[in-house]
Amino acid sequence: MTTYTEYLKERREQEWRVELRKKLKGKERTDQARVHMPEVDPMERVKYQNVEVNTGLNTEQAIKEASRCMDCANPTCIEGCPVGINIPEFVKNIERGEFALAAQTLKMYNALPAVCGRVCPQEKQCESKCFYTQKLDKPAVAIGYLERFAADWERESGNIAVPECAAPNGIKVATVGSGPSSLSFAGDMVKMGYDVTVFEALHEIGGVLKYGIPEFRLPNKMVDVELDNLRKMGVKFETNFIVGRTASFDQLKEEGFKGFFVGSGAGLPRFMNIPGENYNGIMSSNEYLTRVNLMGANSDEFDTPVLRGKNVAVIGGGNTAMDSVRTAKRLGAERAIIVYRRSRVEMPARVEEVKHAIEEGIEFMNLTNPIEYFADASGRVNKMRLQLMELGEADASGRRSPVEIPGATEDIDVDMVVVAVGVSPNPLIPACLPDLKISKWRTIEVNEGMQSSIPVIFAGGDIVRGGATVILAMGDGRNAAKSMHEYLSTNPNN
Amino acid sequence: MANLTTRFFGLKLKTPVIIGSAGLSNSVEKIKLLAENGAGAVVLKSVFEEEIYNEFQAEFKKQAADQSNLEYLDYLDYEIKNDKIKQYLELIQGVKKAGIDIPLVASINCTSGNEWTFFAKRLADSGADALELNLFVLPSDLNRTSEEIHNYYFTTINKVIEQVKIPVTIKISPYFSDLGRMIKELSETKLAGITLFNRYYNIDIDIENQELVPAKILSNPTDYLQSLRWIGIMSGHIECDLAASTGVHDYQTALKMIMAGASAVQVVSGVYKHGYDFIKQMVVDMAKWMDDHNIESIPELIGSANSIKVKNPAMYERIQFMKHFGEFDKVVD
Repeated sequence: MTTYTEYLKERREQEWRVELRKKLKGKERTDQARVHMPEVDPMERVKYQNVEVNTGLNTEQAIKEASRCMDCANPTCIEGCPVGINIPEFVKNIERGEFALAAQTLKMYNALPAVCGRVCPQEKQCESKCFYTQKLDKPAVAIGYLERFAADWERESGNIAVPECAAPNGIKVATVGSGPSSLSFAGDMVKMGYDVTVFEALHEIGGVLKYGIPEFRLPNKMVDVELDNLRKMGVKFETNFIVGRTASFDQLKEEGFKGFFVGSGAGLPRFMNIPGENYNGIMSSNEYLTRVNLMGANSDEFDTPVLRGKNVAVIGGGNTAMDSVRTAKRLGAERAIIVYRRSRVEMPARVEEVKHAIEEGIEFMNLTNPIEYFADASGRVNKMRLQLMELGEADASGRRSPVEIPGATEDIDVDMVVVAVGVSPNPLIPACLPDLKISKWRTIEVNEGMQSSIPVIFAGGDIVRGGATVILAMGDGRNAAKSMHEYLSTNPNN
Repeated sequence: MANLTTRFFGLKLKTPVIIGSAGLSNSVEKIKLLAENGAGAVVLKSVFEEEIYNEFQAEFKKQAADQSNLEYLDYLDYEIKNDKIKQYLELIQGVKKAGIDIPLVASINCTSGNEWTFFAKRLADSGADALELNLFVLPSDLNRTSEEIHNYYFTTINKVIEQVKIPVTIKISPYFSDLGRMIKELSETKLAGITLFNRYYNIDIDIENQELVPAKILSNPTDYLQSLRWIGIMSGHIECDLAASTGVHDYQTALKMIMAGASAVQVVSGVYKHGYDFIKQMVVDMAKWMDDHNIESIPELIGSANSIKVKNPAMYERIQFMKHFGEFDKVVD
């Protein structure tokens, strides 16, 4: 049986790749500067919630960038990819102008390349392992931009390849949730001939791709195209359906479902529980982003528009915090401030998101942490007290710890606060299934094949990991599909 | 029958035997047993900021290998803190629901200024009857002056008292160069009581491996003497209630502490060593001794042998072994 390494080697030795490598000398490749992603002007884009910031590479830019790739004999970039995409193969297909084949290569490993090309933290994943980064101390090949290019090209060409599916086997399986892990699971299972239904509690499919990530980063239409593909493959979607409430697992089993994939995510807001956090005008990032992204609450025509503050503080340093603060700016905040207890270097957010935020005029109050909120007579927040911090020794995350500077506080005026300090797993499914083993952090415990303590229930994504990336969630979905297929094949009468 | 009621934590206690902060009280069942055996109050196990930090770090090590979930883990310490508070709340509610009528005292030990007030407020809101600040700065930082340490104490105490409506007490160490003055100044804050002295984690050396190891955890019966001295010295000079801690292993020591000026004693090691009966026996024996000596109530006894009332108060401050005060020059074979 061929190992993946042997497979990659075989693919690398295809004639077209060998020829392509000879087209340019190594130095000709490495002397090229990394492409800059074209962007909408910051002062223009902050006026709109639904104008995507990055406009994408054109064909010429993509081919040129792809030509920087050395097509290494030992492609370390693949090690950085959570789903092991054959990166050199898709990049080299772009270089030779075979964009459809590039998209096809991507889709062998990743059901949503248009999404991942936009939201993956490539600087921590594939690009961090690129030859350029590792050996030359130069900017990596823009793998993420190229992934997006290939996926967008395929979509815009109107010739999206719909993968072939095996003949129906009559076995019904369900997913709980319609986020990236569930969609990935659904795609793989339907290819294997299963009758797949995706149950989604909300009125829109897509999970965090739709409700969490703003349109200026990930247009909903991109997600809809992928969903459409899944429909064409035969996946069924049921919205406004809460598994465990609308119908129980037992009821679904009675309807003939043999296996379940729980991809219900981690959408429970986390708060700091500091004094005053209950005041009006302080909300979780979950609420804020869902209302804007999914429910159009940024429009004043909406029945319950979201609060718009003039001085908006967002607590946190991750992508969700960036999304929230940039949304606040777009909704008219004069001051949109990130409050984060470590320095900018330690922020978990994607480097690109921070860069875009700075360009858009977001203020960064690093090395500060809220300790109390104050309100006016009507109970609306009007001030927050910040503890000033300094960086101490490195902690287990490898980053320097935030340490209070004794007695050093600062009060700032705010009229709206968005708390974006992380999320917790959705408690609904574990609450419905007392036999389901969960961790102390309320994530579902699974084995290597994503199978839970209840054999017919598999799980992946944030409900297992607590909170991670889209690509990892998708990897879980794929893993679970393989594993469930093996289980159902050997346990037909479960 | 002697009346053993007394007052500490700003609260009336049925007996002067308080269960000190330890794992002895980490369940409703255990607290029930402590109450049934005569404990006058229970100080719940301390919430340690350092423990929360360590748990936070352990989760990072366990979960953040590939940095993909840094955003999820970044503020996990708040979740850990809130979980701890929730556990406290559930314990306190469980005790009240079970009808166990004994004051429950929350205990906190923090290193950051804001965490003291964060936990104080949350634990006070969780239903604790009083709060004990387990406040200690080991004076080993060569760059930190005693004034800075003092300021830290008083700033923390005042901030906490501002935040909560329940009585606040403090349990301290003897590591102050101006201990007497410190105790007096502490008594002039709005603290409802001062416990002398906490017993700390100690280290020892494994001489074979030449490495540090934990020392014995439980106290010995003779460990009470330092607390006794200082309670005796200070109780007559301050208004604030005092409690004694460390080395209270029998009823006689408890009575000594009360005579020195404590209105209550804290016990931990005795219970670990001898079980719940230890508490019952102490209470019974104290009452019998009081009956035998025609003492009707604890307040009659408090401070009866302190530095104000005892006939030879200078002995409280005698620290050198001089021949004039007795001879001990024979080596035991």
